[in-house]
Amino acid sequence: MFDTLTPAEIEALRLSLKVAAVSVLASLPLGFGLAWLLARFDFPGKALLDAFIHLPLVLPPVVIGYFLLVLFGRRGPIGAWLEHAFGLVFAFRWTGAALACALMGLPLMVRAIRQSLEAIDRRLESAAATLGAGRWAVLASITIPLSLPGILTGMLLSFARSLGEFGATITFVSNIPGETQTLPLAIYSFTQVPGGDAQAMRLCLLSVILSLAALVLSEVLVRRANRRIVGDAH
Amino acid sequence: MRSALFAFALALFVPCSHAQLVFAAASLKNALDDVAALSPAKPTISYGASSALARQIENGAPAQLFISADLDWMDYLEQRKLLRAGTRRWLLGNKLVLIAPAGSAVKVEIGPGFPLAKLLGDGRLATADPNSVPAGKYTRSALEKFGVWGSVAGRLAPTENVRAALLLVARGEAPLGTVYTTDAAVEPKVRIVAVFPDGSHPAIVYPAALTAAAPASGPAADFFAFLASPAARKVFGKYGFAPLH
Repeated sequence: MFDTLTPAEIEALRLSLKVAAVSVLASLPLGFGLAWLLARFDFPGKALLDAFIHLPLVLPPVVIGYFLLVLFGRRGPIGAWLEHAFGLVFAFRWTGAALACALMGLPLMVRAIRQSLEAIDRRLESAAATLGAGRWAVLASITIPLSLPGILTGMLLSFARSLGEFGATITFVSNIPGETQTLPLAIYSFTQVPGGDAQAMRLCLLSVILSLAALVLSEVLVRRANRRIVGDAH
Repeated sequence: MRSALFAFALALFVPCSHAQLVFAAASLKNALDDVAALSPAKPTISYGASSALARQIENGAPAQLFISADLDWMDYLEQRKLLRAGTRRWLLGNKLVLIAPAGSAVKVEIGPGFPLAKLLGDGRLATADPNSVPAGKYTRSALEKFGVWGSVAGRLAPTENVRAALLLVARGEAPLGTVYTTDAAVEPKVRIVAVFPDGSHPAIVYPAALTAAAPASGPAADFFAFLASPAARKVFGKYGFAPLH
């Protein structure tokens, strides 16, 4: 099956992986920060922030894409400022696709990390602090390692979500082959052409395989990380 | 109270009657809604991309009349004997135009080798996908005809439908775009820079036909006939369509 992939299909696959990887890595610090905030602190508006983070999970993706276009387009207030200040352009670039994917994957990432943060025995952190570890040392030596299963799950769920992102991407950065045409957009384009079914079906299968691989890998990594944590504790 | 709830529950399960369900291309929405309101039949109309509607009809959707923006998909259904033989005809014509944001001062005449790439600057040409969406296919043939396709093929912002291209230009994200004249007419934030001459692309026509599931006479056939009436033609004309019969 794969030796018959056309260069255009390989391009869509390569682009999908790149967009998904960059979206996950770029959103990880924010995702961890938000999860930490929600797991460790009580503050006014916490429920609202939590709901806000979850919006991409329940809103129609086209709404997210439209907001991104309005805010991060070249004429949008944030997009215009980013271009002026840093030369950073999202409109019609693969970076825009990554931004859309990062936003769509954020709720999944935050949920997973938050759960593992909440499961950490806070006494371990207190003990480390009593023994003289500073705030960052506690974070690096206790909090992050112990929440690693959640971090990995969050990253892989967000990665898998990115591979499947369609609505926000096509609304925000359109469907440019080689630049923003990820796998789902390529599949959609093939279903729009009479006789494109065979090609669409091939890419569908490829999608299923990729997403399954990401989900299985997440499960394996979590098990391994859990085993290591349990092993360390003994 | 209880009986009201019961009636409500019952209403949910009573099947809706779609005796005269019409499937129509999304670009017809404003005009066809007005026409339907005038017609005695008052059909239920489902709008969507011609491709999606054709696939739904192929898979047994209970549509009785199909108005497509896309010849290829009409042919697709005809080849599969999903249209009632002898009912297919041209319903409407449309024009392809080059648009810019309303505030733009850009001026150009469309002809062989016109400087489209230069006008785009570092921006992109917003257009429906030239491989799959009719408006994009027409754009491609016109630009190929004038020998400028090669210089802009890598500078497109292909969208999934023509209205999405309209949005990109209206918001100023793309300095230029191609849409139908009927789309440009309903968006005050864009202006028409130039009209693509007839003959620079295959004629833009909306074919319509009864589906194989529709009876030869009945509400769907009546509505189909009503579309050619002077009253309907007037409404279509108001929106910029050219009635063809």
